[in-house]
Amino acid sequence: MWLLLLTYACLLVFIAGITWRTYKYASLPVHLRWELYPVAHEVGKPYGGSYLEEEDWWHRPRKINLLGESSVFLREIIFFREYFHSNRRFWSFVYPFHLGLFLLVVWVVTLLTGSILTLNGLSVSATSPDFWLQLIYFLTLVSGVAAFILGIFGTIGLLVKRSLDEDLRNYTAPIDYFNLTGILLIFLTGLIFWIIEDPSFGAARGFIQSLITFKPAAIGPLMIMNIVLSCLFLAYMPFTRMAHYVAKYFTYHRVRWDDEPNKPGGGLEKKLQALLDQPAEWSAPHIQAGQSWSGQVKSNGLPDKAEK
Amino acid sequence: MKKRITLKDIGKLEGQMIESQKFDLSALPAPLDSLDDEPGIKELTASQKAKFDISLDGVSAIGLVKPQTREEEDEYVKKFLSGLKKLLSKENNWTFLQPLMLSLENCAKCQNCSDACPIYTESGRQEIYRPTYRAEVLRRIIRKYLGKEGKLLSKFTGSDIDLNYKTIARLAELSYRCTLCRRCAQSCPIGIDNGLITHELRKLFSQEMGIAPKELHQLGTVQQLKVGSSTGTSPKALASFIDFIEGELEELTGKSIKIPVDKEGADILLLHNAGEFISWPENIEAFALVFNAAGIDWTLSSSLVAYDAVNYGVWYDDIQLARIAARHAQAARDLKVKRMMVGECGHAHKAMLVVSDRVLTGDLNVPRESAIPLLEDIVLNDRIKLDPGKNNFPVTLHDPCNLVRLSGIVEPQRRIIRKICTDFREMEPHGVDNYCCGGGSGFAIMDNANFADWRDVVAGRMKLKQILGAFKDVMSPEVHKYVCAPCSNCKGMIRDLLSRYELTEKHGIHYGGLVDLIANAMVDVKGQFINWEAT
Repeated sequence: MWLLLLTYACLLVFIAGITWRTYKYASLPVHLRWELYPVAHEVGKPYGGSYLEEEDWWHRPRKINLLGESSVFLREIIFFREYFHSNRRFWSFVYPFHLGLFLLVVWVVTLLTGSILTLNGLSVSATSPDFWLQLIYFLTLVSGVAAFILGIFGTIGLLVKRSLDEDLRNYTAPIDYFNLTGILLIFLTGLIFWIIEDPSFGAARGFIQSLITFKPAAIGPLMIMNIVLSCLFLAYMPFTRMAHYVAKYFTYHRVRWDDEPNKPGGGLEKKLQALLDQPAEWSAPHIQAGQSWSGQVKSNGLPDKAEK
Repeated sequence: MKKRITLKDIGKLEGQMIESQKFDLSALPAPLDSLDDEPGIKELTASQKAKFDISLDGVSAIGLVKPQTREEEDEYVKKFLSGLKKLLSKENNWTFLQPLMLSLENCAKCQNCSDACPIYTESGRQEIYRPTYRAEVLRRIIRKYLGKEGKLLSKFTGSDIDLNYKTIARLAELSYRCTLCRRCAQSCPIGIDNGLITHELRKLFSQEMGIAPKELHQLGTVQQLKVGSSTGTSPKALASFIDFIEGELEELTGKSIKIPVDKEGADILLLHNAGEFISWPENIEAFALVFNAAGIDWTLSSSLVAYDAVNYGVWYDDIQLARIAARHAQAARDLKVKRMMVGECGHAHKAMLVVSDRVLTGDLNVPRESAIPLLEDIVLNDRIKLDPGKNNFPVTLHDPCNLVRLSGIVEPQRRIIRKICTDFREMEPHGVDNYCCGGGSGFAIMDNANFADWRDVVAGRMKLKQILGAFKDVMSPEVHKYVCAPCSNCKGMIRDLLSRYELTEKHGIHYGGLVDLIANAMVDVKGQFINWEAT
């Protein structure tokens, strides 16, 4: 029972943590434009051009290709294209590492699907009469094993590279080794429990079922170790730099590709006016004390005699 | 083996962290590969050493004067921390807080950005110039001094950097060892922007501590707001420049061409970098020639600030940025023009069209454009008579970072050159992958102590190699070659590079603007518009 409670508690902390992190970034004020070209939603400018290439752009309708933007973003997330093109050696570790994590999510989803089906009286196994049930079984098997193997390879590679490569070592703190080691242990215990205790992942499905029915299932010690480590990691991760996947949405969509112009009378202009009415309390000599941003802009920041 | 510089060294090492005179610089290609004695970075005189803090690398960009007492040193720390708090507050730094927080909290420290930085690679991979070095120092200071970690935890998380005068002085200089070209950001898979962190550091120093290079602040934005222009040109002096330019135009064409000033209700208010009036008046002349021939309804402004498109605030101070942007827009409004247009000035493009787009509200929100698409329209739609045969020399195009990677204006200038030049050759890489000229973020105009040496030898090295690469098959001095740089600061930097390595004199490499090439191809202009003796 304690394992079920721990799992739910950690899951809740994870959801709360990710929500907090997302809210934290999303609630920051709109900033000055700082885009970086190419901007993925520009239409017909694959070389990195912008609408500023058009004469009289101010009066032309703005065209945005959101599908193209999503496609570029997804390709980056799925294939790690930037690393692939600029740092192939690093990609050969960082990609399997992340692919291992993605597959771990796929594995949990297929386990959950299999568990729901089993609870409904269907048999998820290699010998199931139904093709779809067999597919769920094999997807669970392949995604789980591939996740563990790729994850172990990638994590060890990253640990070795961070330890031996002076360019990385100089910037790596003990916490970074701690985090990577924690993830390695999750992958390792996963692989070991699969080999020794649960080659069909039937017990893993049983554990998920127990989470749904709240009736504890009998599972082996290695699997318990894997579940405890995974749960603790889940609860800890949103509060660390490892949650950079949340930030990645914002760095791309809200900074790199945020080229929304401030048109007169628009919603953006209203937001900006409110921000300009806030106090700007910097202390350098050219900053006027007690003024808002708008007030600072009206003043030229020179000593009174030279003000005019 | 030499001990490698670590992050903690910034607050610990005595003396200089590195010696710029001993850099293992990257090799230059032919014809400079056989350069026996490359003009290097001068060592400062004893009096300069005594005056300026050069504890970073023996170079002084900002002219920071050493404090004399322990109290003065403590005051630096106090002010730095108070600025840091403001930098992380929604009210005082709404302008960049979101991108800053994202970049501070999520770097994986994979160093993918290092090879994208020409200052790091060309300097012989000096650790302190690595894009992540200053960013990581700042992150660790924030965690240690503004976070809630105890001593033990801060060792575990690596937040163990001492914040003292040494750290601050070195960070201040280090924030001027990056041209804000943002190639590093472009190469980051997560989207971390170390260029932005440098920009924010500069802001902290300027907006809180009053520390900024004199060329950007006192002689830059302050002078522009006070006298009218960052060059010190007053409205009266502007009138003299215009008289001179009109005289030159008459000499060139045999016709009286007036430069419209303060014409109410014109279609376009054209804003030039005022440096053009002093250093490259031919650029102003070329604009006048082309616009008048094409029948464009345009004007210049003689209002304070508005006859200078320059806005150095974009590099170091959001409040100065907003003040200047507002005065540009006010001039447009006063003249009741339909739109403002930036001439050939890269950073003014970024400042006016991109960054300060979100500080201009209400009446000041006037349409803003680049002049390059209009020039493209004039050239490609044959609105004036052009003969590409007049531009029958090798031409390469420099992509100003502010115009291309940071504003997305990439192809119009290429389409113009392809139409009016017979031998156009690209630099590699180019477009949004270009390299900075080395003069970005104010470097082109900064010359305190030995900084200009550092800038030319280190920051401009990659551009120098690119230029040589583009013309490698035509190095004879008899063949005029043209580096087209549609940006005043880039032109200044390229001028200094060509001069330092004697490339004009010995190899016939010249430089100039884009509109100059158009004017040179004009059938109505007798002979050559480009003065090869002057460029």
